[in-house]
Amino acid sequence: MPRPSIGHNDGCEIQEMASPSKHDPFDAAAIRRPVRALQTYYLIVSLLSGPAFPFVGIPLWIKYHTLRYRIDDEGVTMAWGYLFRKEILLTYRRIQDIHVRRNVIHRWLGLASVAVQTASGTAGAEMTIVGILEPDRLRDYLYLKMRGARHVTQPRTEEEADEEALDLLRQIRDLLRDREGGRGHGT
Amino acid sequence: MSEQDTPPIRARATRYYDGLWGVIARYLKVPRGGPRLPSDPEESYEVFHPAPGFLRCLKLWFWLAFLLLDGALLAGWIVLFVAIPWLALLLLPVTLVLLVVPEFVIYVALHLRYDATWYLLTPRSLHLRRGIWVIQEMTITYANVQNLRVRSGPVQRLFGIEDVLVETAGAGAGTQDHPATISNQGLLEGVADASRIRDLIMARVRTQQGAGLGDEPSAGVVSPPHWSPQHLALLREIREVLATARLDT
Repeated sequence: MPRPSIGHNDGCEIQEMASPSKHDPFDAAAIRRPVRALQTYYLIVSLLSGPAFPFVGIPLWIKYHTLRYRIDDEGVTMAWGYLFRKEILLTYRRIQDIHVRRNVIHRWLGLASVAVQTASGTAGAEMTIVGILEPDRLRDYLYLKMRGARHVTQPRTEEEADEEALDLLRQIRDLLRDREGGRGHGT
Repeated sequence: MSEQDTPPIRARATRYYDGLWGVIARYLKVPRGGPRLPSDPEESYEVFHPAPGFLRCLKLWFWLAFLLLDGALLAGWIVLFVAIPWLALLLLPVTLVLLVVPEFVIYVALHLRYDATWYLLTPRSLHLRRGIWVIQEMTITYANVQNLRVRSGPVQRLFGIEDVLVETAGAGAGTQDHPATISNQGLLEGVADASRIRDLIMARVRTQQGAGLGDEPSAGVVSPPHWSPQHLALLREIREVLATARLDT
């Protein structure tokens, strides 16, 4: 693919999205749209539904063309729909479990459906991310953002707090001393 | 069947089975190796199948069903042979095929099911994978585990295996016909050392300060300040400084 000449960063981003390989760092924030393979998958699904083809196919076609993701530092947002719009927002900290489901067609196309659950009461998964190549890397990304996946260092221990209090008091003393010294000079 | 015979036949069966796995891995794109999760390099993790007892347990049910169904089929054929001999002879090949083929397929499927079931335990999380047609994977961290269930029936105990069910606050009943897909439960079917796994997970759950609902462990747990002699000495100094300051003004 020809490398666009506008700005070095843009070129890198486009190339990464176009040909993701194992060696690139996984850039979740670059995921905005489902990959084309999802359209193929939806086409196969609606063809397999036989006579119900239009009723199955049209909503899926709309979903593919309107689906947008936004994956940032705090959470994932997913929106789709034309007449009936849907938008799902969740934060990483509230993820309860991650399910990855792959049927044979998914695997042939390199897809998967990554279902993310929170502790809300609905029966299904809260968010099902579809149309992502390399679902394992997305799974790993979400897993590392999940609560408890990494060792969290306590922001401050007791000794640190004590140390800080002592330091604060020292500063107050010094400030007062300076003020007194200055005032003593002035008068 | 063939696996319980002499070793050369067993070796050949193993070779055919490996070949079948090769075909499955290639055309159905089923990964042959176990799952991995990103983790700290020094953290140990274990990847394993269910206990061998689980496969034997499945086979026991298989043989029982085999005897029952094939016995009925054979009895039916004998009755037919007595009543209408020519029709029975005509149906003999069909009967033989029905006697052998489904059982053979199911027997192989049991092995495939066993080999496609993987459990991955890290010090922080649990990952399950199962399935050939539809591969289902589940990842949970112990921080989110709400409760654990260990259950076993009499037949399972005979084979020394137990089921461990790990439940999170995740939503949902899932599909009832498929207990493995209930969405907030991680099912470790047929493990031999259930008590060890139970202790491992529960030890992690107990040390969690949050409720596993996305609450930060550090929030709201501020230890009250305690004053050391140094603090007190410093405070006294401040008091003196202030006292002299008041005298000056």
